[in-house]
Amino acid sequence: MTPLHFEELYQGEWQELEGLLDQLLRRKKTTSAPVQGDRVAVLYRRACEHLALARARSYPAYLLDQLERLTADAHQVIYQRREFGLTKVRYFLNVDFPRTVRANAGYVWLSAALLYVPTMVIGWLVYVRPELILSVVDASTAASFEQMYSDSATAIGREAQGDLVMFGFYIRNNISVAFQCFAGGLFVGIGSMFYLIYNGALFGAVAGYLTERGHGPTFYAFVVTHSAFELTAIVLSGAAGLKIGHALVVPGRMSRMQSLVEATRNCAPIVAGSAIMLLVAAAIEAFWSSAAWLPHAVKYAVAAGCWIGVLSYLTFQGRSAN
Amino acid sequence: MAAETPEGIVLELHPAGLPARFYAFILDWIIRLVIMYAIAMIAGILGGVGVAFWLILLFALEWFYPIVFELGRSGATPGKKTFGLKVVMDNGLPVTPAASFARNLLRVADFLPFGYGIAVVSMLLRQDCKRLGDIAAATLVVHEPHAAPRVTLEKIEPIAPVRSLAPRDQAALVALAARAPTLTGERLNELAALAAAVSGDQGRSGNAVTHRVLGVAQWLMGRRS
Repeated sequence: MTPLHFEELYQGEWQELEGLLDQLLRRKKTTSAPVQGDRVAVLYRRACEHLALARARSYPAYLLDQLERLTADAHQVIYQRREFGLTKVRYFLNVDFPRTVRANAGYVWLSAALLYVPTMVIGWLVYVRPELILSVVDASTAASFEQMYSDSATAIGREAQGDLVMFGFYIRNNISVAFQCFAGGLFVGIGSMFYLIYNGALFGAVAGYLTERGHGPTFYAFVVTHSAFELTAIVLSGAAGLKIGHALVVPGRMSRMQSLVEATRNCAPIVAGSAIMLLVAAAIEAFWSSAAWLPHAVKYAVAAGCWIGVLSYLTFQGRSAN
Repeated sequence: MAAETPEGIVLELHPAGLPARFYAFILDWIIRLVIMYAIAMIAGILGGVGVAFWLILLFALEWFYPIVFELGRSGATPGKKTFGLKVVMDNGLPVTPAASFARNLLRVADFLPFGYGIAVVSMLLRQDCKRLGDIAAATLVVHEPHAAPRVTLEKIEPIAPVRSLAPRDQAALVALAARAPTLTGERLNELAALAAAVSGDQGRSGNAVTHRVLGVAQWLMGRRS
């Protein structure tokens, strides 16, 4: 069979498949009837046979190309996994995310320890000896922190309405910390550990310093609400990073690459969940935490609700679902 | 790079190299910059609340811009799409949400020590041109295939070959015919002279020989006068 004969014989089927794919991929605007799934599958298998034949017979490149593109497109359409839609999102939030967190509880506890132990140790040290703050941040930064949380500030946590760039910098910096803790896992987990400890120490230093200076009430009222989401998200991202690092160091019976890919896939729900939590944290930080007119009692009450909510969500949600 | 489907056919994947990905990245970066400025202007008019919105959008744009586009229909950010690139899984399937999250958030590691240093080194060292995020998420940035030119030699009379040809030789002749329009006359003559035996012109070259060799290619394609 010559290439032209072959093409003539099967061109009809290829064109039909291409039309159906165009419709499915919405490459062209069509108003025809809904696509018959089984017809696509049949035509796809036929096209696969034709491609195999065309390759075996060394048909000209344009024919092979046409068939390759056709089968590649159809392959994508047929084997794609539908992971979108509200049902998927709901399942993710109701079951997948909290379950994956619990399945990796060991990493989560380790990550929490790496973040909070330095926070407390450095916090206490700086509280006792405030001059130690200078070994963590320089003098002007320390002064600006003090300025930000002083009672006279119109909006807490930001220097002045004009200096919004700094505020933006802090929000983005805090949030990027979480992703750094995750990505650091690629360096056999050392990056994650470093970022967790470093940021824990930084938080501790700032908190200890401001407490010692008497700005404690303003500072804690500011951070306590969004930290329920932000710190937890950092801990979770760090846990995902530690898992990846562990998979690289101890791959078990898999190759290191396989082990890495497997671990990344397994902890993807944790990372996606913590990204959502960070968005929530950013919104709270921008709209709620920085509002100076709210009484502290209200902020603490809401914060308690947030902390209890987040922790019990991660502990109890999705236990009974099948 | 190749991925085998359950139907037993092998899909060719063409990994995109550093330059193509760099251009795509720069374009995406400019697009994001423009969006940020546009939103900043609106935020400036709205004042305090607007600025808060701007900050959240800034964060979302920085981290979720690639994810949203990669999970869309085209599987590529506008920058990648412009340069004919696409993100797929190692097995040629559309990128999954989990993989897209992983590969984009792992950018932080690729960025180190500065300016995507590790990513560049990794992409230059690896045959499949993956950065760390791609390795961990099992994804691949590939060139979208584009159509090869059809064999268009309608003006040339088909001639039967003077000897029987093995399938490989037939394929080589047809491939030469497909490339003919893109070659200079001299080069085409040189190449055709190598295959001159098929039309009984062994040892000769020139336009007439080329014409006859292409005629044989026409015949092999299935055209008959």
